[in-house]
Amino acid sequence: MPLMEIKELKKNFNSQTVLKNISLGVEKGDVVAIIGPSGAGKSTFLRCLINLERRDGGSVNVEGIELNPDDKKSVKKVQQKMGMVFQSFNLFPHMTVLKNVMIAPIKVKKIDKSIISEKAKNLLAKVGLSDRGDYYPSQLSGGQQQRVAIARALAMNPDIMLFDEPTSALDPELVGEVLKVMKKLADEGMTMIVVTHEMGFAREVANKVIFMEKGNVVEEGTPEKIFNNPSEKRTKEFLEKIIK
Amino acid sequence: MNLQFTLSKLPTMLTASLMTIELTVLSLIFGTILAVIIAFMRISKNKLIKNIARFYLWIFRGTPLILQLFFLYYALPTWGITLSPFAAAVIGLSLNSAAYTAEIVRGGIISIHEGQYEAANVLGMTYRQTMFEIILPQTIRNILPAMGNQFIGMLKDTSLVSTIAMVELMRQAQLVGSATFKYTEVYITAALIYLLLTSVFSYVFSKMESKLSIY
Repeated sequence: MPLMEIKELKKNFNSQTVLKNISLGVEKGDVVAIIGPSGAGKSTFLRCLINLERRDGGSVNVEGIELNPDDKKSVKKVQQKMGMVFQSFNLFPHMTVLKNVMIAPIKVKKIDKSIISEKAKNLLAKVGLSDRGDYYPSQLSGGQQQRVAIARALAMNPDIMLFDEPTSALDPELVGEVLKVMKKLADEGMTMIVVTHEMGFAREVANKVIFMEKGNVVEEGTPEKIFNNPSEKRTKEFLEKIIK
Repeated sequence: MNLQFTLSKLPTMLTASLMTIELTVLSLIFGTILAVIIAFMRISKNKLIKNIARFYLWIFRGTPLILQLFFLYYALPTWGITLSPFAAAVIGLSLNSAAYTAEIVRGGIISIHEGQYEAANVLGMTYRQTMFEIILPQTIRNILPAMGNQFIGMLKDTSLVSTIAMVELMRQAQLVGSATFKYTEVYITAALIYLLLTSVFSYVFSKMESKLSIY
């Protein structure tokens, strides 16, 4: 059984259907890249997996736990298995970088401060920010903030990391430092689902690429297949447009 | 302007202004606690709770403070509830300022970006943890300037309780004035004391603002 199994997931906004029967299996260690034009429903799909959006149909199963939006306990359990990184970072501006990383383990997992502060420092070192622990988020660049956000998510020991366009809000010269951290995570065997416009990342780091359009999965496969030999006309057109 | 007279009455006036300070501080504390509760009721998803908060705001923002004070002090005894002037003053001022402060607090809470709730949510925080650790600390900084205004207004509003037999700064000025007919002296003295108090308030608030603007 896969680590995560999504079956026929549906989502409507008012009367508009934004996701039509999306199914996906994610194995341990998979790096899934979700690509496609804006408005395809990529982010909505990702947000349904962690219940930031309530799905309207289908099922989400994470490590044997059924995500039931009406059952708070199952929502919390599933959320604990996952970490999420947002396009706009969403760091807590009134806390230092170190506090941002430590707050959830302290408050949610009730882990002792001295234990978690050691771990938080290690995580900051991992994302290349060991000297920024006492800074406030507003004193950091976008790329640095996003790396803190990754460390913050990792502090809760997730099994699966969700990335919602993690580099889309960054200046072009800062994209690389974030992708590098993500690649390192992937190399360490972290299971990741990444909504991205970074085709280079999807091609090199992902082992599964999903092309979505208008709420449908048009095509899925290995990066070699999607990028070199797509079977769908729409996939080809999309890739031709963005890879010059 | 008779300086010697003014100086001779200064101790009396200063003593009365202690009552003004006491009323202000007590009403601020009770008013702010109540305001936070009402603000949370006002943003509640429960319609009944929300409407109770709305009704409260409608009453206390929609009628004059002096009427609310008169009601507490003169009208309640007919229902068997007799309040001392001090109790009526503190209750009236607290209830009234809570209504205005609640809207400031609510504005501060809803100005926090949705992403902050989402980040706290996916990290597993409860509603209470999200509010106390994430949302309210940011709210406090955002609403501080408006709160400063509200608190200064409150300090001056304490002068209205002179109408329900409370002897505070304003009432003392009236008493001394009518006994001696030296209105110029007493009202200028009272005005200067009010200015001093509001200046101290403003100063404290600007200090707090700069302290919280580190991020």
